[in-house]
Order: sequence, then structure tokens, then C-alpha cells
Amino acid sequence: MTFLDIRNVSKHFGSVAAVSNVSLEIARGEFVTFLGPSGSGKSTTLYMIAGFFEPSAGDIRIDGAGILGLPSNKRNIGMVFQRYTLFPHLTVAENVAFPLRVRRRPQAEVARKVEEMLALVRLDRFADRMPAQLSGGQQQRVALARALAYDPPLLLMDEPLSALDKKLREEIQAEIRRIHRETGVTILYVTHDQEEALSLSDRVALFNHGRIEQVGKGRELYEQPSTRFVAGFVGHSNFLDCTVAARNDHRADVVFPDGSRLPGTPVHRGAHAGAAAGLMIRPDRVRIGARGAAATSAGVDAVLSDATFIGDTFHFVATTAWGAPVSIRVPASAPMPHQHAVGDRVRLSWDPGQARLFDN
Amino acid sequence: MTVIDAATSTPPHAPSASSRRAARGLAAVMPAFALVSVVFVLPVLALLLRSVLEPQPGLQNYEAFFASTTYLKVLANTFLVAGTVTVVTVLLGFPVAWFLAIAPAFWSRLLFAIVILSMWTNLLARTYAWMVLLQRTGVVNRTLMGLGLISEPLPLINNLVGVTIGMTYIMLPFMILPLHATIRAIDPSVFQAAALCGASRWHALTRVFLPLTASGIAAGALMVFVMSLGYFITPALLGGTSNMMLAELIAQLVQSLLDWGLAGAAAVVLLTVTLAIYAVQLRFFGFGRAAG
Ligand SMILES: Nc1ncnc2c1ncn2[C@@H]1O[C@H](COP(=O)(O)OP(=O)(O)OP(=O)(O)O)[C@@H](O)[C@H]1O
Ligand SMILES: [Mg+2]
Repeated sequence: MTFLDIRNVSKHFGSVAAVSNVSLEIARGEFVTFLGPSGSGKSTTLYMIAGFFEPSAGDIRIDGAGILGLPSNKRNIGMVFQRYTLFPHLTVAENVAFPLRVRRRPQAEVARKVEEMLALVRLDRFADRMPAQLSGGQQQRVALARALAYDPPLLLMDEPLSALDKKLREEIQAEIRRIHRETGVTILYVTHDQEEALSLSDRVALFNHGRIEQVGKGRELYEQPSTRFVAGFVGHSNFLDCTVAARNDHRADVVFPDGSRLPGTPVHRGAHAGAAAGLMIRPDRVRIGARGAAATSAGVDAVLSDATFIGDTFHFVATTAWGAPVSIRVPASAPMPHQHAVGDRVRLSWDPGQARLFDN
Repeated sequence: MTVIDAATSTPPHAPSASSRRAARGLAAVMPAFALVSVVFVLPVLALLLRSVLEPQPGLQNYEAFFASTTYLKVLANTFLVAGTVTVVTVLLGFPVAWFLAIAPAFWSRLLFAIVILSMWTNLLARTYAWMVLLQRTGVVNRTLMGLGLISEPLPLINNLVGVTIGMTYIMLPFMILPLHATIRAIDPSVFQAAALCGASRWHALTRVFLPLTASGIAAGALMVFVMSLGYFITPALLGGTSNMMLAELIAQLVQSLLDWGLAGAAAVVLLTVTLAIYAVQLRFFGFGRAAG
């Protein structure tokens, strides 16, 4: 069932804990991204799988067999690097053939496979070019062809598109998705671009300070963040300071600094009665209404302090009675009860289940 | 170097702009060009002329040079020594350049300082130092005898062995420095890529590292071989009178025999060989590839 099994892996560089106790089980054919801020241990984890770093503790298994005793060249793993790592003295075709040649595959097979791989990355016409004669995007596609030429069951990619411009990046992302579908290879993909992570992968592992904060589908991370860090990192969010007044199993009542009380906000963990907490609500889940309307949902009073129209959405900023800014996004197509203008005194409301409470 | 880089980085699709730039570049290098013609090309031309004009017009100097077994032996000696020195500097220089590129900063800086300082030390002093080391009662012979490896002192001086040893030492930096630059320019992550592709250390060495350093080896080897062909001081001091090299012969023809014609012919032979080797190098490694 589990194809790649990362168990309690840690890596220390001297006194720096680059990776701390990371565990993750990945199924065959899955596309998992490591997302996280710079220095959070994504590459280090990938490099331990590749065999460039030895873990300080823990175990890594592929198909149940430990791989830590094997050198990189015996692990049969494909990898595409952030930097361009094509062999500069070999043509495109020879680069793709390289892993097959060191495996001493017969010439006919090498030729057939090179052709197949270059067709897969749509570079058939570039077989005889030298790497220096290719654009960055083309080089990374050749690197992808080289990494897949020997049919490795696992493909590692460490920010392969970070040096490319946005348009090209999106184009190659689509290619990677297609190649994943066509080959069924298991992919571990590192990025610090959350859009890329969400659009590419089946599951996202969000790294922070060498630990995995949360693993799940992009939507889960967005809608059910388990920590404040996840809530802040994935998508936009507002955090409203408050105090926990009462707490039952999964929900808590909070009091805002102006004394207004809000019942029934979901809590994942922490947020004990009396604690200072942050109430997280996504900008696109906040509704703007008139003051004094029947308060059927959770909400706070505020004054609109800014309004901008960005293409397909209105972006408002409202300020609460105690001076906290709340950003709100409303699709331009949404039916508006009335036109809002800066300076309007409004009621911000949301479904209680859409907010979440985190310890401060 | 800059001229070469500018030439290769010129985009091919902008002929008018690039030729205008080339024209401006040409104007800028004219004074230097004139200076080089005067101080370098003119003497060579003079030599060439003397070789075909003295004592009377004709190719008799070249006939005399190639007809004499003595002179041919000098030519053979020259190639033998230059070739051996080149091979040995490659074999010794490669690991040193590699070490310089990958060693911890302290060690690589120390070794670099030694290489550079030896290059800056007076050539005569270094050659005399080798005379002291290599003579019959020198450190080398005494050590070998002390260890019981030999019973008689080895003849290490006044022959081609001494010349080769001394010149290898003097030429080593000219191999190490370009090779070091080439190795430093290689992105180490290509070796990580090679490893994941399944390449063993041996494959990574023979199929990636050596090919990527080939241009540096070629550049260093060319430099060492060509410099060795025309080297004078070290062969004159460490070599014997019976085993001359070409530069010594030319000096002797001019100084002792006042035979400018034959000396000119020998010099032109040397120059022709050098240019031919350079042409071969350009053919196989080109400007761009030798530079990058
Ligand atoms: N070879 C090394 N020696 C010492 N420290 C290292 C080494 N490699 C990584 N680190 C440290 O380990 C931590 C994690 O680094 P890592 O490269 O895994 O981060 P990352 O998540 O890939 O970041 P980025 O998005 O910037 O690539 C960082 O604090 C980094 O400085
Ligand atoms: Mg990284």
C-alpha cells in the first residue's frame, strides 16, 4: 500500500536541526508537494531520499525495503534540480541516453527510449542541440526526460521551475501534470509557491522549521488548517485577537477586545478558557451587511476603510471597533444588497463554522 | 580574454550592430596592434628573412638543418623533453588542481600560495636549487642511497632527466592554473545528477568529469608544451652539452658561430611547429570552448 515511507527522519547540521522528526507515507503514483518557506527543510528531506545526505535519525523505505544503505546511484530514483544540471558536453539526446548507457542497455533500446522520452517532453526536434543552445524551460524539460528515461518508480523535483517566468512555469506545470498522468510515476515535488503546490499535487505537506505542520489535499489545508502557521501560509486570512471565554469539545466562545461576544467558533487544538487566541476567517468568507440587521450569523461591527476593484473581485478593508483591520474579498459577480463606500458603518458576518480559533 | 568573450557573446542576429561594434573595437586596439607589430612581428620577420637570405638567398639553411643528424637529434630531444614534461605536468597537475578546487578553504589557499610563490621566485634561483638537489652528492641521491634503494648515485643532472625534472617543476603552475579554473567552473550538482542517473564514481569520473575538464587540460598542455619547446635557461643549466635542446642550439649558433642564417632557420622551424599545434588546438577546442 505505502510506496515511499519516510519514518521519523531528522537531519542535523552541527547544532542546526534542518529536519526534525518528519514522517510521511506516500502511495504509489501519488503526486505530493513539499510546500514551505525558505529554509524549512524541504530540500534537505528530498536530498536524504536521493542519498546526498544521510539522515541523523529515522528510516526511509521504498516498497518496504530500506534505502539508506544504498548509494545514490543504486537507488533508481529520478531527480530534476532547481539549477540546470544537464551535462554541458553532451547533446540533448546523449543527456537523455546517459542513464541508459551507464546501465549498459543495448543500443537499440537506448535509441528507442531517447526518442520516446524526447517526444514525451515535446523536444523531439532538439535531439542534437547542446544544452547551452536551449532556453531554461527547454533545459528543464530535457532534465525531466533524462530523469524519466530509466523508468524510475520515484521522481524527485526540487523547485525545477523557480528560475522560469510565470507563463512558462504554468506551461511546464501542465506538462508535468500530463506526464504524471501518462507515466504513473510517483512524484515528490518541492516548491515554495503555494499556487504551484495546490495546482499540481494530490497532497501537500506543509513544512515549517524542519517539521511537517500538516499534510493533506490543498482544499483541506485551506479549509481545515490545523495550525495557525498553515492558516497563515495557505491562502489569505484575517486573524482577529480575542480571549477564549468558554470552551467545549470542538468549539469555543470568544470575547473581542471591545467586549462583544462570539459563540461557537471551531477549535482544532489548544484555545483553553481564558487564553488569548486568534480568530481566523478567510477574506472570501466574510459578508458585508448593514448594521442592525437581524444577527443570524457570527460577526462584528466595523467601518469600511478601503475599497479596491481588482479585475474580478472587490477587495475591501474594514476596521473593527478596536482598530483591527479585516480584509474582505467579494466576487464582482456577487449580488450586492447595497453599494458600499469607504466610511460606511457595516456589519461583517460569517458562518461560525467557517472561522477557526488558534492559540496566539 | 575579454576580446574573445565579447566576440563569442555577440548575438548572431544583429550583424549591423555587431560589425559596427567590431569596427569601434578595432579602432580601440589599433595602437596596441601597432606596438605588437613593431616589437614582436618585425623581429620574427627579420629572422625569417635572414634564414632565407644569409649567407646567400635560398633554402640552404633549411636543407642544412634537416640534413644534419646532430640538428635532428636536437629537434628530437626538444620534442621528447617537451612531450614528457607535458604528460608529467598533466599527471601531477590534475590531482593538484582538483585538490585546489575541492579542498577546505585553508588547505586550498595554502597550496595556492605555494604554487604562486614558486612561480614568482626567480627562475635562475629555482633552477640552481634543482642543481643542488640533483647533483651526485645532492639530497636526492643521498636520500636514495641512505634508504638503500641505490648503491651508486644516479646521473640526474647534465642530461635530459635533469632537464625534464627541472622543467616539469617550472611548468607545473602553467598546467595547474588553467585546469583549476576549468574545474572550479564546473557546477558540482552535475555530479549529483550523474549519481542519481545511476553513474558509479568511475562513470562520473570518465564520462562527466574528465570530458568537462578536457578544455582545461588542452589549454594547460598547449601552454606547457609550447613553452617547453622554446625553453632555454633550465636546459642550459641542468642539461648536458651532448643533449641540447633547440633554444640552446639557436643561442649557440648565434653566439659562438655567428651563423644567423641557420639560427633563423631553426627558430622558424620552432615557430612553425608552435603555430601548427596552436591551429590544431583551435580546431578541436575553438575559442569559445577553450574559454568556457
Ligand atoms: N549542507 C548544509 N550545511 C549546513 N546547513 C544546511 C545545509 N543544507 C541545509 N542547511 C540548513 O538546513 C535548513 C533547511 O534547508 P533546506 O535547504 O532544506 O531548506 P528549503 O526548505 O529547501 O529552503 P529553500 O526553499 O530556500 O530551498 C536551513 O536552515 C539551511 O541553512
Ligand atoms: Mg530548497
